[in-house]
Amino acid sequence: MTYLLTSLFLTVCLIFLPHFMSGPYYVHVFIITMMNIILTSSLRLISLSGQISLAHGGMMTIGAYTSALLVMRLGLSTWYAMLIAGLFVALVACLTGFPFMRLKGIYFSIVTVFFSEMVVLITQQWESLTGGSGGIYNIPAPGAIVVTGLFNIDFLSKIHFYYFALFLMIASLLILYAIEKSRIGFILKGIKQTDSLAESIGINTIGFKVLAYSTGCFFAGIVGAFYSHYISAMCPDTFGFFYTINILVYMTVGGIEVFAGPILGAFVLTILPEITRVLKEFMPFIFAAVLIAVIFFLPEGLAGLFSRLIAFIKKIIRIKNA
Amino acid sequence: MEMTAIAQSLLNGLAISGIYILIALGLTLVLSIMGIVQISHGEIYMVGAYCVYYLIKSAGFSFIPALIVATLFVGCIGVFLERVFFRPFRGDPDRAMTVSISLILIIQNIVLFLAGGNPKSYSSPFTGVLFIFGIVIAWKRLIIVIVGFGLLVLLFLFIRYTKTGQAMLAISQEREGAALQGINIDFVSAVAMFLGCALAAVAAGFIGSLFSISPTMGSFALMKGIAVIILGGLGSIAGAVIGGLILGLIDGVLPAITSTYTAGLVGFAAIIIILLFRPQGIWGHE
Amino acid sequence: MLEVKGLSKFFGGLEAVSNIDMTVKAGEIFGLIGPNGAGKTTFFNLINGVIRPTRGRVIFEGQDITGKKPHSVAKKGIIRTFQANNIFPDFTVIENVSLSCHLKTGIGIFEASLHTPGSKKKEKDVLERSYEIIKHAGLESFTNTAANSLSHGHKRILGIANALAAEPKLLMLDEPLGGMNAEEVSETINLIRRLLDDGLTILLIEHNMRATMSLCDRIFVINFGKKIAEGNPAEVKENPEVIKAYLGAGQNA
Ligand SMILES: Nc1ncnc2c1ncn2[C@@H]1O[C@H](COP(=O)(O)OP(=O)(O)O)[C@@H](O)[C@H]1O
Ligand SMILES: [Mg+2]
Repeated sequence: MTYLLTSLFLTVCLIFLPHFMSGPYYVHVFIITMMNIILTSSLRLISLSGQISLAHGGMMTIGAYTSALLVMRLGLSTWYAMLIAGLFVALVACLTGFPFMRLKGIYFSIVTVFFSEMVVLITQQWESLTGGSGGIYNIPAPGAIVVTGLFNIDFLSKIHFYYFALFLMIASLLILYAIEKSRIGFILKGIKQTDSLAESIGINTIGFKVLAYSTGCFFAGIVGAFYSHYISAMCPDTFGFFYTINILVYMTVGGIEVFAGPILGAFVLTILPEITRVLKEFMPFIFAAVLIAVIFFLPEGLAGLFSRLIAFIKKIIRIKNA
Repeated sequence: MEMTAIAQSLLNGLAISGIYILIALGLTLVLSIMGIVQISHGEIYMVGAYCVYYLIKSAGFSFIPALIVATLFVGCIGVFLERVFFRPFRGDPDRAMTVSISLILIIQNIVLFLAGGNPKSYSSPFTGVLFIFGIVIAWKRLIIVIVGFGLLVLLFLFIRYTKTGQAMLAISQEREGAALQGINIDFVSAVAMFLGCALAAVAAGFIGSLFSISPTMGSFALMKGIAVIILGGLGSIAGAVIGGLILGLIDGVLPAITSTYTAGLVGFAAIIIILLFRPQGIWGHE
Repeated sequence: MLEVKGLSKFFGGLEAVSNIDMTVKAGEIFGLIGPNGAGKTTFFNLINGVIRPTRGRVIFEGQDITGKKPHSVAKKGIIRTFQANNIFPDFTVIENVSLSCHLKTGIGIFEASLHTPGSKKKEKDVLERSYEIIKHAGLESFTNTAANSLSHGHKRILGIANALAAEPKLLMLDEPLGGMNAEEVSETINLIRRLLDDGLTILLIEHNMRATMSLCDRIFVINFGKKIAEGNPAEVKENPEVIKAYLGAGQNA
């Protein structure tokens, strides 16, 4: 219940927020934040099964190029192109997932890193299709949504992308939440705890892991596609190794145990450097300090801090009442 | 290809192998002693290159003293990191991994702040060429092969003939047993981190004399280092050497025949395939 | 019911299981004993598909299941427990068992995500069934306890409950009494007896000789991966090969 109310409240805030923002730059920061929230949360879905994927960067690259090229080469509508890009990425994840998911722990993480590196190399190499290292430019924005008399969203202003990203984020979070609360989420958590037991009582562990992987990557593909149409340019190494590492850090700093963790992590660590721009010079150190503090004092991440805080407040209230 | 071209690309491959082996040895040491994949190893390596750069450009050192000082300094950074960041999480590889990932961002940002993002470079004092049987060999590559394999031999002797080295071997084989035998795991871990980081610094010092250096150079080194230890088998020194030779030769020789990109692709694909069919690596055992 | 023909597994040069022939009949409890390292666990792993045999066949109810994945073998009705890790530690007891009901929920990978009207009812049925199993195993007072905080003995019993939830036709128990105190041992033996009364077929690995001898209809002894004896408890106890194997292996067996 608290969860529901908080989410509704935050959503309403986010709907009205752009009207209070002083310039397009802040709108941009929020768009990126919302992208990062989808990325961390979808990465967490994969990690529910106990496997840490580092393929998100590669999957975003595939999504971005697929969507951009479908629109630019085949003249597809941007909307279809983005959806197809997401599905294509899910397919790629499914096909690579079956062999990859046979590996456990660090081995899995490593092959996913190498997979991403291969995606970068292939996009650089395949010039006739992708334009090579130089990347592609002038990727068109999504087609306008016009409902005569009501609204006209033409994606000429950043605000329109803001609402699009907000829609994507809410839709993704709802789907991810539903999956986690469904029997699938339950099974994935079981697999994470005792893989061999889950398999021996009849759960197709590889199948479920691949399902989680390919669903998580679907969202990465959609975000990649969104990004390419939003920024209107894309390079093979836009989403390289460090991009993925950042997502992973946002997720872990936020806390992997609860659904809100990665959201919190992505939000704080994307927004923090921007709102303290005065301190930009010292940002790396603030960032480092936050990381170190979380590593040493908050094994459950920022989300753990919040739940502790709430418990503490409740305790105080109870003492007062008593 | 004529004789000279073949010999040169082979030497090139061997030089790259030397670098890869030095990087991979550090990863392997830390992995087998401390049980973590130290993925900020690439950043340590990058710090090594910057230390050499500043010692040469700002402190007026010449290359060899700069390399030695940087190596010792980076080794000490390793000891510091072990004490402060890794020791508290011993026996908790998941959190150690998080620590290691965070260190990537922390170290990289610090260097970015101090040194800026522009690539820098310094030149090797090992100029000139050597003629062997009419084949032209560049000193600056040959020296890497010599130093790389020289350090390998030293490391081998260290492990074989010192008490600490034997303790390392014992820990890598059996952690609990080693603690029971009264081996000081804290000390041995610190030594492992020192050696691992120092070796990375040597590799980076030489790389800086061939190519330019930048705050993001670490990820390449990390990829190659991990690729090498996987190829060879995790936690095995012989494996690191074999993996390093194979990958170094692929990366040194293939680009001369095809393109750099293809060489990169072949390398990664080979590793993914090997992992899928032989997760324990070429040299590792089941 | 279960028929094993010439089953062998080599680990490098080590012959962990060597040319084993065995038949388990429906409704019986069949003991598999041998000193530590004899290859008993490996034998279980071969049957339920954790590892593939080097040679030999495994036939269950007339069907060849050699080399099938564990989850497929489970679907056929063979469920095994492990020497360790038989529980989902972060789940409560009821969550453990209801997850283990997976096969009987009728919820497949794709149905699991769709909240059909029927799925609510199915979920409810699962909980009821889980509670029945917990009661049968004598854990009802721990229904909502976190599995991790159970005593060692109760963890092992929960492991058996998890296996039962998958509705085995053949239940394979790997040292179910390991590390239990006397009281827990007798509780577990009673549970096993109740299961036999329900008509379950059991293949049992156990080091507790008294329990094995009193429970089992027939006993199969292996050492260094090879069969050294087979027969009813009295015959096996007298077999000189068996006595030699156990004396040779020392007290830890
Ligand atoms: N995955 C494996 N790889 C290599 N050797 C193994 C493996 N599993 C078991 N072994 C070896 O096979 C032999 C039999 O082990 P196991 O079946 O566990 O014995 P038991 O359960 O009878 O005590 C032992 O020598 C053990 O070391
Ligand atoms: Mg055993």
